[in-house]
Amino acid sequence: MTISIPTTVIIMVLGLIGIGIYALLTTRHLLKVIVALQLLVKGAMLALVLAGRLTGQEDLGQSLAITVIIADTIVAVIGMALAVQVRRVIGTLDLRSLTSLRR
Amino acid sequence: MNPNNAFLLAVGLPVFASPVIYLIGRIATRKNPKVDLARWLALLTLLADGYFLLIAGMEFIQTRHELLIAVGAVSLRLDGIALLLAAVVLALGTLVTLFSGPAVARDSGRETYFALLTAMIGTIIGLGAADDLFNLWVWFEAMALCSYVLVAFYRNEAAALEAGVKYLVQSALGTVLVLLAIGLVFANTGSVDLDEIRIAAQPSGLMLAAGALFIIGFGVKAALVPLHTWLPDAHSQAPSGISAMLSGVVIEAGLVAMLRALGALHLVTVSWGALLLGFAAVNMLVGNLMALRQTQVKRLLAYSSLSHMGYILLGVGAGAVIGSEYSAAGGFFHILTHAMMKGLAFLAAGALLYSLHQAVGNHDPLVVDDLNGASRKYPLTAFAFSVAVLGLGGLPPLAGFMSKWQIFVGGFQTGSAWIMALVVFAALNSVLSLGYYAPLVNRLYRCQPVRIVEQGKPIPVLMSLPMLILSLGVVVLGIWPSLADWLTGPAAQSLLMLFGG
Repeated sequence: MTISIPTTVIIMVLGLIGIGIYALLTTRHLLKVIVALQLLVKGAMLALVLAGRLTGQEDLGQSLAITVIIADTIVAVIGMALAVQVRRVIGTLDLRSLTSLRR
Repeated sequence: MNPNNAFLLAVGLPVFASPVIYLIGRIATRKNPKVDLARWLALLTLLADGYFLLIAGMEFIQTRHELLIAVGAVSLRLDGIALLLAAVVLALGTLVTLFSGPAVARDSGRETYFALLTAMIGTIIGLGAADDLFNLWVWFEAMALCSYVLVAFYRNEAAALEAGVKYLVQSALGTVLVLLAIGLVFANTGSVDLDEIRIAAQPSGLMLAAGALFIIGFGVKAALVPLHTWLPDAHSQAPSGISAMLSGVVIEAGLVAMLRALGALHLVTVSWGALLLGFAAVNMLVGNLMALRQTQVKRLLAYSSLSHMGYILLGVGAGAVIGSEYSAAGGFFHILTHAMMKGLAFLAAGALLYSLHQAVGNHDPLVVDDLNGASRKYPLTAFAFSVAVLGLGGLPPLAGFMSKWQIFVGGFQTGSAWIMALVVFAALNSVLSLGYYAPLVNRLYRCQPVRIVEQGKPIPVLMSLPMLILSLGVVVLGIWPSLADWLTGPAAQSLLMLFGG
């Protein structure tokens, strides 16, 4: 039995998204949360490339994915800059300690 | 000037001016720390931008032809909704820039503040006018990026960092979901162009899933309950000018993005509008109930934004479900009046926060007790704050009454029992909201001044001026609501075209 390339990619997309959401729900460490978000974006990116491939517009799908890479890198950079600042000011990266505003 | 070029400039100018503002402001501040060039450059950029928008907007209003612009992969369409959002964000943004000059004058990184504020205004104008799904996502993400940094502007305050982290994580998850939805739509229809999707999108399980992902993804930004948990933190911890922008236009920009995406999927199911109406009811109730128990002024105002998002959803949703143009125009009118009133409320609260706390060097939040007797020492600010909150509560003859009235009348005209019940519910909620607005005014005017007010510093003229302009606007629009018809009418027609086909 052979598995076609699109099927493999769909499995990868679902896998990345599944792992990302699972990680997002279970981890309480800020850097790990950012990594989880990255995994999710990578899944979405792969989905865009696959969508381009399935509809015969590979160029469009890939250019979308490249744009996403740029935007998503900036999110990661801002997230990590915030993490550095959180560590400096609050002294921990554990999200459970970031609850002073809850009321 | 060619209106197409004028609109292109209106979108591009703030975005491209932003790094220039940062660099020049930074160099000038380095040479002489007292010089603050960035804010004047930002103000100049926004005024020039207003001129370009006026040229393009006048052309659209007079001819009623949508302006279609394509440069490379960027495609823009100036229709009624885009014009309304652009006008609101530019007007409020200019006043906020004026206000923020003294407010952030003693903070380091003020060049960043003005550069990002300008960029955020440009990206919101672009977001409103985006003509394909992917452009929409890029503008949306760019707006979000600017706002993440601005929310955590007080980067040495634990509370601001906490709010920034919550905002970033929730918002970033939202944008990923939108991206997945775009992937689904792209795979199904073979296009990301909104017009082509409108024709090609047929009912199917995957398209329903895409629509749901759009609602959740954009709903985080638009603060639909229960996706709102970042909002009270972010809006209360951001610098006051940014709170005004976030509450006044950024959450509405999220709603506009959602309307564009759902409008393109209008053939998939007819119940998108009904879903919006459902969120309207939940938002009004939760926003009001949570606001009732707040003790911090900015947090209270943030929760009240949730309930006002409910009124906007009610107007817009009735427009989308029944095709009622009057109702949709009411929803857009409420976007306009809410931006003015909530902007004014946050600016006035920010002015008090500045003079009572920040000017003496502490970062404590402004609590409702600090308002006691403030009218004796700060008569103008107290008046502006009262106009804002009474307008938000919906007292005539203020602008908030008129926009709510139009939404209610529009809802009754639809003749649908569900929408009429919802209108009654909204009216009751409006009464409930006075339960937290009225005591604020009472404290300002009828209590003895507390010690912190007596020791407060004066409020600079540049902070008072935007408040004066906005108060005047709220009163004038309350007396002559038809002054806004040229803006809200075309927006409502554009909405009906989105959902009616």
